[in-house]
Amino acid sequence: MPLLTQSQADDEEYVLVASLDNARNLSNILKAITFKDHAIFSATPNGLKVTVEDSKCMQANAFIQAEIFQEFTIKEDLVGFQVNLTVLLDCLNIFGGSTVPGVSTALRMCYKGYGYPLTLFLEEGGVVTVCKINTQEPEEPIDFEFCSSNVTNKVILLSESLKEAFSELDMTSEVLQITMSPNQPYFRLSTFGNSGNAHYDYPKDSDMMELFKCTKTQTNRYKMSLLKPSTKALALSCKVSVRTDSRGFLSLQYLVRNDDGQICFVEYYCCPDEEVEEE
Amino acid sequence: MRRLLSKTKLSANMNCRLDGNCVKAFGKAIHALSRIGDELWLDPTVKGLALRSVNSAHSAYACFLFSPLFFQKYSLQSTSEGGNEPIKCKLTMKCVLPLFRCLTSIERNVEQCHISTGPPKDQVMIQFFCRHGITKTHNLRFQESEALQAVFASHLCPNTLTAPARLLSDMVMHFPASQEEITLSVTPLRVTLKNFYEAGSDHMKMVYTEMSLHPDEFDCFQVAVESDVTFCLKELRGFLSFAESHCLPVSVHCSAAGKPVCFSVEDLALEATVVLATLTDSESREPSQPTASQTHTTPRCAEASHLAVGSCEANIREPRGTPAVTELVASSQGSPIPPRTDGLWLPVEDCTNAPTTPASSMVCSLLFRALFSEQDSDPANLTVLACYSDEEEENMEEEFARSPSL
Repeated sequence: MPLLTQSQADDEEYVLVASLDNARNLSNILKAITFKDHAIFSATPNGLKVTVEDSKCMQANAFIQAEIFQEFTIKEDLVGFQVNLTVLLDCLNIFGGSTVPGVSTALRMCYKGYGYPLTLFLEEGGVVTVCKINTQEPEEPIDFEFCSSNVTNKVILLSESLKEAFSELDMTSEVLQITMSPNQPYFRLSTFGNSGNAHYDYPKDSDMMELFKCTKTQTNRYKMSLLKPSTKALALSCKVSVRTDSRGFLSLQYLVRNDDGQICFVEYYCCPDEEVEEE
Repeated sequence: MRRLLSKTKLSANMNCRLDGNCVKAFGKAIHALSRIGDELWLDPTVKGLALRSVNSAHSAYACFLFSPLFFQKYSLQSTSEGGNEPIKCKLTMKCVLPLFRCLTSIERNVEQCHISTGPPKDQVMIQFFCRHGITKTHNLRFQESEALQAVFASHLCPNTLTAPARLLSDMVMHFPASQEEITLSVTPLRVTLKNFYEAGSDHMKMVYTEMSLHPDEFDCFQVAVESDVTFCLKELRGFLSFAESHCLPVSVHCSAAGKPVCFSVEDLALEATVVLATLTDSESREPSQPTASQTHTTPRCAEASHLAVGSCEANIREPRGTPAVTELVASSQGSPIPPRTDGLWLPVEDCTNAPTTPASSMVCSLLFRALFSEQDSDPANLTVLACYSDEEEENMEEEFARSPSL
């Protein structure tokens, strides 16, 4: 539904204007990375990237390409700001987040630049709400220096096979251990909790395993508290790629389909918790 | 809690395999047991794998015995040290139940389950082989512990009823989930279930539910003694759900108020039993109730809706002649029940905790006999069974030996 509450002149003041007919195409994916209050927004002509970090050891990114938006106008090469993600989500759901088919909230997100608030125009059923959210100086997102050339092990799994495992993970375990190997057990998730340990093994020839490329045996442990939030992204996704590099850094990439069937990505990076002897 | 592995006790390892359908039944049994207590005893024997639980007030006990026929494979193997006593494991319910929590998902995904004990010595491994080649392995630490066992001579019960589980479930369904206790009244002419309410409670706010069945509705109806027994319903529901899912007839054995009531099901592959303590009929408390002066006799169990917990763990609790429970246990009627001073009270680990259900506050514990009581126990303390009449007392020792162990 067209949202024409602004005159053309105002538009020229904005460095970023992004419009969606269905605000859920943004809010759903942002929910997958909302484990901290603040998020760094980076907009480029390619689209929007939203980053949330934890403890300098973990980073989650949500990518919404420019093509997903009905309108995506950016006047600079990079527009960055930081906002309270919880507040933003509350605003995006201001009409109650009803899932009645055919009824959706339209969004027009506008930003004038450094020092200005992020302005949201939201409309549903003829009712318009304007929200202005204060922005802060964006922090520099951590560069985990995770590059494809350094990847030692990679698998792609269908999310449905991992969803159950993640929901059952023993939360009394402080770490989640991931073992990837060209040999048995191929791909293993392990927890070490109060009552004992648990292992979830996915063989390389499982029909849930879409891709299996492991070059060397690696076992790494990651803090459970850092990885548990990724369960939300897993729940939304249909596939997930799990990669580790030579340092043991973990990259999880989730392929998410939005309400309109378009593809977006969510990505998690995590540092290993401790050095584990590589076999 | 210290491990009880004594030097003389050598152990054997259990190894068993269940196919997908049986895993769900096994999980349902664990669900039913989780409604009883917070701990689960895994007791592999030559007769099969027994799962037991008892509530903290020792007023409810359940045992599920899966015979070797239930399993695709069931074996007990001596360890290299040559021991032949199977390991007795005590697990916390909160570490076992999550493995079987979602039964529909188990039904959908699990093709086979392996359960084995040792090595390492103090771990039980539960392994699920699932669809798509996925394997889930859980290694749970357990405490080596003598299992508690309520000895209940069901063949001595004057009243026995058998009905399809569905019938009992349908009756029980009419009571709200919050209903703590119900009263089962049995006469030669009819069987009635009604909710139990405390004498002092506000009658205006109570919904009084009562339903009756004609003896013809039962597959088996033997009533020798009219009785009213009141027991905790919550602890029975899980069991009835299990019985219904297996379409098994449920046998009910009961006698007078104060004596335990037993519900059981069995088929070729399994036997399941729930023994619940019942409220004493406070209006008919007889003067012959044991007092401190009768420490030398085994008290009548008719009054002993408090039953003692037999020593079950050698180094932790030893039977003592002197009463250990000295604090008053508040009854649901508001008047505290004086402590039993007949020497029957033995230290019960959790009995001093505030009981949470009225039934358990009135009535404390069932008698348990250690499965392997190697230590010499004072017979007066351990031979009290869920017995039923005076004339049994002379034959107590023999009955004790002959009573069907659960």
